[in-house]
Amino acid sequence: MLQSILHGAGRRVLVRASALALIATIAVSLPATAANETEYSGFIENYSVHRESRGLSKLRNTAQLEFTRQVGVRGAFKNISVTGVLRGSYDAVYDQRDNEFGDSAGHSISLQNTGAWVTGGLGAGGGGVPPLGGFLPHGGPVNLPFSAVDGSPTTPGIGFGATAATLVPGQKLANPNSGLIVLGEHYTGQAGGVHYGVPVQPCDKDPRGCINGYMDADESELAHPEFNDRWDFIRELYIDADLELDNGNLWSFRVGKQQIVWGRTDLFRVLDIINPIDFSRNTIYDEFEDTRIPLWAMQAEYRMGATGIFDDLNASFVWVFDKFRPANLGQGGSPNQALGAGDLFRGLANCWDNGCTVSNFFPAAVASGLPPNVVGSGDPTLPGFAATSFGPHTIGIRDAEMPSWSLANTQLGMKLEGLYKGVGWSVNYLYTRSQLPSLHGGSSGPSIAFDPFSGAALGTPQDYLIAFDIEFPRINLIGGSLDFYVDPLKTVFRVEAAVSEGEEFADTSRTSLFRESKVLRYVIGIDRPTFIRWLNPNRSFLISAQLFGQHLLDHHEETGVSGAKVGMADWEQNWIATLLFQGNYMNDRLNPKIIFARDVRAHGNAIAPSVEYLVSDNWRLNVGANFKTGYSGGRHSYDDNRDAIATPGLGATADAAFGLPAGTVGVSQSTGATRGAFPLGVFRGGIFGAQIEEDEYFVNVQYRF
Amino acid sequence: MAYSTLRAAALVSAALVTSTAVSAVTDADVQNSFFPYSDSAPTAVGITPGMVINQSNWQVAEPYLDEAMLAAVKEGWTEISVDKTTSFGLHPKYVEATHNGAANVTLGDAVGDIQGYTAGRPFPLEPTSDDPRAGEKLAWNYQYGYNWGDNANINPFYWKFRNMNSGKVERTLKFGFSFLNFKHRVGVDPIPEYDSNPANIFRSIYLQVLEPFDLKNTQLLIYRYANDAQRDDSWLYLGFQRRVRRLATGQVTDSFLGSDLMIQDFEGYNGRISDMNWRYLGTQTMLLPFYNHNDMALSDEYVEDDGYQYIDFAGKGNCFPKITWQLRKAYKVEVVPVDESSPISKRVVYMDAQTFTLPRTLIYDKAGNLWKTFLIGQAHPDHHLAGNKGTGVSLDDSFMVMDMQALHCTTGQFRGMAYEVADRDTFTVQHIRIKGR
Repeated sequence: MLQSILHGAGRRVLVRASALALIATIAVSLPATAANETEYSGFIENYSVHRESRGLSKLRNTAQLEFTRQVGVRGAFKNISVTGVLRGSYDAVYDQRDNEFGDSAGHSISLQNTGAWVTGGLGAGGGGVPPLGGFLPHGGPVNLPFSAVDGSPTTPGIGFGATAATLVPGQKLANPNSGLIVLGEHYTGQAGGVHYGVPVQPCDKDPRGCINGYMDADESELAHPEFNDRWDFIRELYIDADLELDNGNLWSFRVGKQQIVWGRTDLFRVLDIINPIDFSRNTIYDEFEDTRIPLWAMQAEYRMGATGIFDDLNASFVWVFDKFRPANLGQGGSPNQALGAGDLFRGLANCWDNGCTVSNFFPAAVASGLPPNVVGSGDPTLPGFAATSFGPHTIGIRDAEMPSWSLANTQLGMKLEGLYKGVGWSVNYLYTRSQLPSLHGGSSGPSIAFDPFSGAALGTPQDYLIAFDIEFPRINLIGGSLDFYVDPLKTVFRVEAAVSEGEEFADTSRTSLFRESKVLRYVIGIDRPTFIRWLNPNRSFLISAQLFGQHLLDHHEETGVSGAKVGMADWEQNWIATLLFQGNYMNDRLNPKIIFARDVRAHGNAIAPSVEYLVSDNWRLNVGANFKTGYSGGRHSYDDNRDAIATPGLGATADAAFGLPAGTVGVSQSTGATRGAFPLGVFRGGIFGAQIEEDEYFVNVQYRF
Repeated sequence: MAYSTLRAAALVSAALVTSTAVSAVTDADVQNSFFPYSDSAPTAVGITPGMVINQSNWQVAEPYLDEAMLAAVKEGWTEISVDKTTSFGLHPKYVEATHNGAANVTLGDAVGDIQGYTAGRPFPLEPTSDDPRAGEKLAWNYQYGYNWGDNANINPFYWKFRNMNSGKVERTLKFGFSFLNFKHRVGVDPIPEYDSNPANIFRSIYLQVLEPFDLKNTQLLIYRYANDAQRDDSWLYLGFQRRVRRLATGQVTDSFLGSDLMIQDFEGYNGRISDMNWRYLGTQTMLLPFYNHNDMALSDEYVEDDGYQYIDFAGKGNCFPKITWQLRKAYKVEVVPVDESSPISKRVVYMDAQTFTLPRTLIYDKAGNLWKTFLIGQAHPDHHLAGNKGTGVSLDDSFMVMDMQALHCTTGQFRGMAYEVADRDTFTVQHIRIKGR
């Protein structure tokens, strides 16, 4: 195993290890006031995860070196120190499981076709007649007349729909039916909803669907995520210094790459949002310390100490001058993704770039090109939906607008915090940018090249059309926190609340398919050490419970033509409850714990038991699992926008199909009749719902020094 | 008698002569309280300086050892090396403050209510068995004692978790500890108290874990308020969470970082007077762990840059400090928690009458069985680091907490510097946020 790991890591690992060593050497060679003032520590570890239905899903080996160099006094500044954290990791799963996550991942796929198809109609124009019902291969018989390549109705080219047989010499297949999975393949499967192919191989192997600057990691960057163009192997590197004022107050400065921790919560965040989170590491199951993405920033703390009525009073100013970094939601095809966003986005980006076949998309009656009742079923419309192939630059994700570095794009934060009569409090303000993507579609989306139903050149964004650009909107957040102890209850209370302005959410009722909403988030947490003497007579158990609330203050839903709801898929109000129960045995060397979390509206649960054993000060063994329960198909479904009339050509097609006067069927929003887990139902299912098929067992062995 | 003790006695005498205070506390009372061995040292039949008490002759020490130490000697777990009794005179300004203020100090109606106290030892009179609140007064003498003086640092401070059966060291923790009295200060400026203390904090303890990796940067901050009725506030910074957590009371009476100590055990007892009911059980001559650090056979496991070496450990599981013991005057006090949810049923403490330190504590579990035995070795400041000389602080210098039921112990090795001043800013919640990564 070791041999194969080393083989997989290859020469790059040595080069990168050398880079780590160089950084450490430079740091510790900084001038110090005396010998022996540099402290080192660190660890190496292996973290292996077995995922049910997928097998080995993580084989991550990490080395981390931490150091602090005391520099002492320089001019007016005192307590100067330099601190660094260097981290390098290699997840061998991309080599060991290359057929699942690496160069050989994916396969050919077929997309569900529930539509009762008849000959003729659009299928004829597109070059083929698909079979009735069943499944159609990705890029198989084409349903729409103008789907082959941009504006070319019948001639398959190098774009979507090409086959090896149709290629002319020198051409390559741009979107072959290989190296794919079906969106949701490991979640719901195809159950009458909207699905499409997702390329799953690393971007150096298969560039399809890779979003430049956002989700475009090659295998090396997936296996060694710290060694990227942001130099994340320098996990933290900052200088601390204090400046004492004549009035006795103190300025404390920290400048460099760092984590800035606000808030008082575990597992989920309300105020602690300055650093984005790397969900690709282990979704929500690693400590924030390991998953926060450090940023280049300056903190200045004005420490007034005991002042007036306050036992402690401090004002903190934060300037994040790093180039914007979003949360890492995990890349399509990689094992750890938040809400399956990586797959969702990569598949959509592939749709835009190369075209795609979408399952169960186009109403069969309209696609058949026949007026109602012709088939003689008695049904006024032909039932079901046809798997539909779109050409490039029609639907999908075109681009991610990554904010470039500029002064205007930096982030500012302020915090006033203190202690009053034993109550810790803070007031926080942050001018930041959403770390989560907002999909600007429809009338705010990209221009499409042509109308896939008429072939007409359009060149403009189309209302309700599922063609998107990813943006990261500006956010203002104001909030506060408290903690206090209630003696009669023997309980510590923690409270946080924040209101944000500027966040955006998917909304199928709007022509742009998104809506801005103010959001109120809060948490109430309690910590109570409690003796349960029959379990441990001399050591208490920690019971820690939290209730997170999220309220979309501008939430919008309306009743669609079908009578079902259309609008924002996110719950208007939702809560997540967490419960930690932890015991300690053998002088805290054996630490069993269980975490239970419930998404109240989604009815999703996560249960995460684990046992940590400290073999010695150097060796730690941690074994555990996480299970997810509570999937509910209907509850985790939402309007999928597939029956929106999003292009003039589609309207005209419908007019013709139903024998209506031209222009009767205009562009219109979704009726709400078609619903599924994708693309928006996953927001209803939440973080646990999206992982319903991802029960995991892990072993973590760590050596610390 | 050491030079510093003579000097202290001289200063006290001068203070007594010039004082005009009129009280029930006489000059002789103060002299007796602070210098109990000025006339003669305690004696015990069959016990002489230089002898070793062990499994073969434990009987001779039966009246002078607490039940846990006696059992350990009987079992052959350790030996007691007896040295002569020496005076651990506290700082003369503390003694002077006692003379000036003790007469004004009274107890209020409720346990924990003290009135008229400014500085020094609040109740220097000998306890009497007919005083129902004698135990409480002794507790106040400890609470307002000169333990670590007005401020001090212990750095480094090594704790080892040991399996007594195998002798294996399971964990080694390296700390930095700091103490600061906000009020009732006598030896180090600002005297008598810090300005701008809106919370009316009496004393604060701050500690930081330096090693091992998994606990590194864990920090603890404790506020004890001048008003004993006000509950302590404590905050814990966990390095891996990078977040300050407020501690619930239950965590104060729970194992601290897996050791055999609770936060409530720090310094012998770390809590409010009103958290306990205190019952004076008597005055007796005891063998107690008082010694001159520089005269001990020290460990060479850790040697600091200035040559400082730590107390070594030996005996069963290497749980017992290799130190000498003295016959000393001690007050025996039973301490019963008010809070019924406490994991202990009582403590029995042996207060050293001269220093009001707590060199021996026996801790009983909920069922009333002996659970833990706590030893704090006291070192004379004049035979320690040069900086401690003349500070008049009886230095906590070694400790052992032994879980008698689990046969497990935690040992401690101090490098204590009395009077070393940590910034007042160190004792703030914000400091531990910034100090953490």
